Amino acid sequence: MGMMEKLNELTASGAREYLTFRLDQEEYGIDILKVQEIRGYEPPTRVANAPNFIKGVVNLRGTIVPIVDMRLKFNCSKAEYNSFTVVIVLNLRSRIVGIVVDSVSDVMELPPENLKSAPDIDSVIDSAAVLGLGSVGDRMLILLDIERLMSASEMGLVSASD
Amino acid sequence: MAEMHTEGGAGGDFDLSQFYQIFFEEAGENLDQMEHMLLNLNLETADDEELNGIFRCAHSVKGGAATFGFADVAELTHQMESLLDRLRRHELQPNAAMVDVLLESADTSRGLLARHQSGGEGVAPPTADLVRRISVLAAGGGPAPTPVAAAVAPVVAAAPLPAPPKPAARPDGVRGLQISIGPLDRPEQADAIQELFRDIPGLGSIKAAVSDRSGVRVFDVDTTSSDEDLLDLFAFHVAREKVAILEQSTDHVEPPVVQSGGIDQIGFGFFDGSPGAPQTPSTTEVVATPVMEPALIIPKATPGKVASAAAASQPEAATIRVAISKVDQLINLVGELVITQAMLAQNSRALDPAVYQQLLTGLADLDRNTRDLQESVMSIRMIPMSIVFSRFPRMLRDLAGKLGKKVDFVTQGEATELDKGLVEKITDPLTHLVRNSCDHGVEMPADRIAAGKSETGTITLSASHQGGSIVIEVRDDGRGLSRPKILAKARERGLDVSDQMSDAEVWQLIFAPGFSTAAVVTDVSGRGVGMDVVKRNIAALNGTVEIDSAEGYGMKVSVRLPLTLAIMDGMSVGVGDEVYILPLSSVVESFQVKADAVSTVGQGSQLVKVRDEYMPVIELEKVFQIPRFDFERSSDIMVVVEAEGIRVALLVDELLGQQQVVVKNLESNYRKVPNVSGATILGDGKVALILDTGALVRRSRH
Repeated sequence: MGMMEKLNELTASGAREYLTFRLDQEEYGIDILKVQEIRGYEPPTRVANAPNFIKGVVNLRGTIVPIVDMRLKFNCSKAEYNSFTVVIVLNLRSRIVGIVVDSVSDVMELPPENLKSAPDIDSVIDSAAVLGLGSVGDRMLILLDIERLMSASEMGLVSASD
Repeated sequence: MAEMHTEGGAGGDFDLSQFYQIFFEEAGENLDQMEHMLLNLNLETADDEELNGIFRCAHSVKGGAATFGFADVAELTHQMESLLDRLRRHELQPNAAMVDVLLESADTSRGLLARHQSGGEGVAPPTADLVRRISVLAAGGGPAPTPVAAAVAPVVAAAPLPAPPKPAARPDGVRGLQISIGPLDRPEQADAIQELFRDIPGLGSIKAAVSDRSGVRVFDVDTTSSDEDLLDLFAFHVAREKVAILEQSTDHVEPPVVQSGGIDQIGFGFFDGSPGAPQTPSTTEVVATPVMEPALIIPKATPGKVASAAAASQPEAATIRVAISKVDQLINLVGELVITQAMLAQNSRALDPAVYQQLLTGLADLDRNTRDLQESVMSIRMIPMSIVFSRFPRMLRDLAGKLGKKVDFVTQGEATELDKGLVEKITDPLTHLVRNSCDHGVEMPADRIAAGKSETGTITLSASHQGGSIVIEVRDDGRGLSRPKILAKARERGLDVSDQMSDAEVWQLIFAPGFSTAAVVTDVSGRGVGMDVVKRNIAALNGTVEIDSAEGYGMKVSVRLPLTLAIMDGMSVGVGDEVYILPLSSVVESFQVKADAVSTVGQGSQLVKVRDEYMPVIELEKVFQIPRFDFERSSDIMVVVEAEGIRVALLVDELLGQQQVVVKNLESNYRKVPNVSGATILGDGKVALILDTGALVRRSRH
């Protein structure tokens, strides 16, 4: 899918709401409809032989949910766990996944005219998972296709067989 | 012919009537489901899944009806099954007339069942005509009628007179059949059925006919046996689906059918067919199912009067049918409750009993009530093995009769309970094993006497709980497996074998795919018939199959299945700062180990000597790369676990205790983790991983 098509798809439905969160100095936005809840960070149970950004699994009211630290995934310089560290619990198509971020900032509506396609950049994020860039005042928002990002095989969240 | 001890034998003591209610419920459900699927069936684009689904419904009803001896229902559903079987194998294209006749048959079956349920009062809806019409359709006579043809059914008044009711079984009638088998990869498999006819007295005669398709064998058969019996017998050699049985001389058997051969007439036939049918075409209900041709006429509840009369007198059932998903939800919720309760109990431990006496009493009550609740809820899904076992006495009796053998059937442990889902899946493999025992294990009476055994063979089916597993054994006192013959056969098939193999390894050979050839069977050696399928089915349930045999004395096949319930007894062990759960059922013993008790082999694998046995040591710390912060401590406790008949010693830091744990799936949100079978939630709300002892044991072997 070309970048413009992605943007078109994004804007076709008019303004959408995004949950924005910070990783280090960068600000990201994800579709609010994919967010189930926001929780404080609690140390998960480590799972052997998982990549370092998978912190383990936690008990979310009886459901076993894997926790992905986005800061480790995106190679942020530091990843501290303190009382402000937040887990965004995502409800993706068939699975529930928690992501660790530095903080959650806002829920905002982005009118189509504020959306720009992202230039080709060299980044740790798969460019297919970047929907575009949003500008809010002088802030730049990186809009993520969180569904795509989480189901990518390199995330190691899904078994190779399925 | 054989005599089953219907009165005296342990199998004969069985009172089938206690299962009637279950059968009636199941059959009703199956018929409803079949009707639903038939109504939704898109004739042009019917997919295999739908056709198979409908077939399964008919098959289940037939199986049950035959078991309980409702011959009329079995006969009718058998015909339906034959037709559906041809449909699902794409030998026939489904058409409206077929759907109609199947629906009508379903209704009639309901009527028949209702009559049986009420104790046989009232008039049985006639089935002969339906049976005839279905068999005509199944034989694929003439072009498929268009839906319009079926829709003009109101001309029924002009249709020929009702056919004289055909007796459900012709005791003296020898039927001329043409049986085609295939296509098979190795058509010579089919030739083995000729030997069946030779070996089994009274079965009839067979001769090979010319086949016009490659890989297909065609035989002309004269027999008095029913199609179903023949299929049962053939199933030892070729897959049921590959067998097609055609009546060769339909007109000889069924004169009325061929009046003009026009399919239209056959299409109408079913309206005139039921003398007991109160409906005239004008009152036939028009069902406008969106996916079907709009004008399709579906005669609903033809035997309505009979059925409803019977229903009125039928006592109200003391059970309710509930969707399994609701039960599962209940089990999940109770699991949560147990966790919450454990959490509360843990948190309250620090409280001063003098101050919080009331609270603590309340918590103790809560503890007891949750456990009771949990047990009750879990028991909903559990059904006794007798449900499965009850199918066998009849089947064995018939089979033994056909083979000319004398067999006693003994069951043990019928009360052993098993999860409903497992019961459904274990029935087929067990049927296969029992049949094998009867067919290939137990010898002919004369041979038994010659071998110094009693004339009557015994097949024993037993079930018991062993730890977290259920073990089902099929035993017979027949001829057992022949080691040299299996080895010879394996060599012939190019398998890698040697004379040094242990017996257990040799027996495992019969599980090799395709080992079950006719030659093996008739050579009186093994009985690898379809054993690969049995093994595969059981492995799919996380179970194992073991064989024990002594030539001349019999053999025993043990099927071990996990109870795979949502809850299991676990032993929690600590390694570093982490907690893992071991299934208690696989724990044999644990002990503190001294450093000098562990020896290494080739600087790699470690072994520990436990009483005169050396066992491989698995360090959980290494397997799970557990970080260690407290270097003062080290693992010095060995937990011996056993899985798949092999023992290994796991090295852990400490034993934390035993508890019931709720097994959670790790894969629903995450992925399969090596050496881990699932996860659970501990009393403090933390997640702990449950170790897969089977995988750990396998790991030690490589």
